[in-house]
Amino acid sequence: MATSNPSVFLLSVNGQIQGANFPEFDHLYCKFCFVYGHDWVPTAGLEEGITQITCKGKQSPHTLIWNFPLETTFKSTNPSGWPQLVLSVYGPDVFGNDVVRGYGATHIPITPGQHTRSVPMFVPEPTWRLQKFTSWLLGRRPEYTDPKVVAHGEGREVTRVRSQGFVTVSFHIMTKDMKKLGYDVGPSGAENTPGWAAE
Amino acid sequence: MGVYSIYRYNMAELHIIGQIVGASGFPESCLFCKWGVHTGAAWRLLSGLREGQTQVDLPQIGEMAYWSHPIDLHYATKGLQGWPSLHLQVWHQDSFGRSELCGYGYCHVPSSPGHHRISCATWRPLGTWQEQLVQKFIGGGHQLRKPDLIYSGADRYRLNTEAMGTVELELDIILRHFDKYGVNS
Repeated sequence: MATSNPSVFLLSVNGQIQGANFPEFDHLYCKFCFVYGHDWVPTAGLEEGITQITCKGKQSPHTLIWNFPLETTFKSTNPSGWPQLVLSVYGPDVFGNDVVRGYGATHIPITPGQHTRSVPMFVPEPTWRLQKFTSWLLGRRPEYTDPKVVAHGEGREVTRVRSQGFVTVSFHIMTKDMKKLGYDVGPSGAENTPGWAAE
Repeated sequence: MGVYSIYRYNMAELHIIGQIVGASGFPESCLFCKWGVHTGAAWRLLSGLREGQTQVDLPQIGEMAYWSHPIDLHYATKGLQGWPSLHLQVWHQDSFGRSELCGYGYCHVPSSPGHHRISCATWRPLGTWQEQLVQKFIGGGHQLRKPDLIYSGADRYRLNTEAMGTVELELDIILRHFDKYGVNS
């Protein structure tokens, strides 16, 4: 494992999409994917996936649980374009159509160790009241053609959205060779294994 | 390509990776934020967008507006002066599509590496009591002619302002080669 002059560093992401909090909706599933810059390449694990459909439990009426595993490793030469996890949550409406209930994105944490993130989820909002009514009636809500746009900052100034829920994700992050390349990501745990940093 | 790699190794580098999460404590909902990062002359932006505008959010749960606007900036620098600072303008968009200023705020980008959760307080210029009365009925209100007053202290003593809500940010900072120049952070 010892490399004297590494040119790439590795980022290992383990974790899970724990569940969601959507007070007004039920029977939801979540699609996820990773968005990253040009210098990044996934080397192991899934880049995208879909969870099961879950309902609120009788014991805890506000909690939706997916418990969906995330295991991916990236390699890169440059922290620019640090990967983001993009989530889209879907569920049935009153008429049984599958409609989007929220989009959200969060950066993968940069420091090794355990992290939990609560990702706010929002849907695009039609501007006209008539459009709101017809989209409710026909089940054709405004959607993004590519959910990955929520990971980018350009072109957002013309969109109106409504935030209506949260998805909880937990991460366990490990990095390799970032220190050797001169990058300082702040405090992490004791380094037991040479090269790998974990807490 | 060779010149570029020499350029990079001679300079210290800073990565700012994170989000403008949202805002709370404002009298109106339906908010958006115009943001920008201001640096001194020694800093050069290698990649990323140094300014932008978030989407307009109308929250259904609670009163906090969520934007989740991503920030990914890569700077190289020859000196510590002019450390990047983030300046923000929070605006309210009403149902007619008109925009009204809600607050100005600024915060320095953290100088220590790691994860930071920042609450940036905002303020709004205040007019005379007659102007405030008009503003209560039809909206509007004063704006700064030159937005660089948000992050500079030079002529602030002339301003009368009132406190507004806070903007929440989550920023991850990565430093490179700062220790080679003897810098502690």
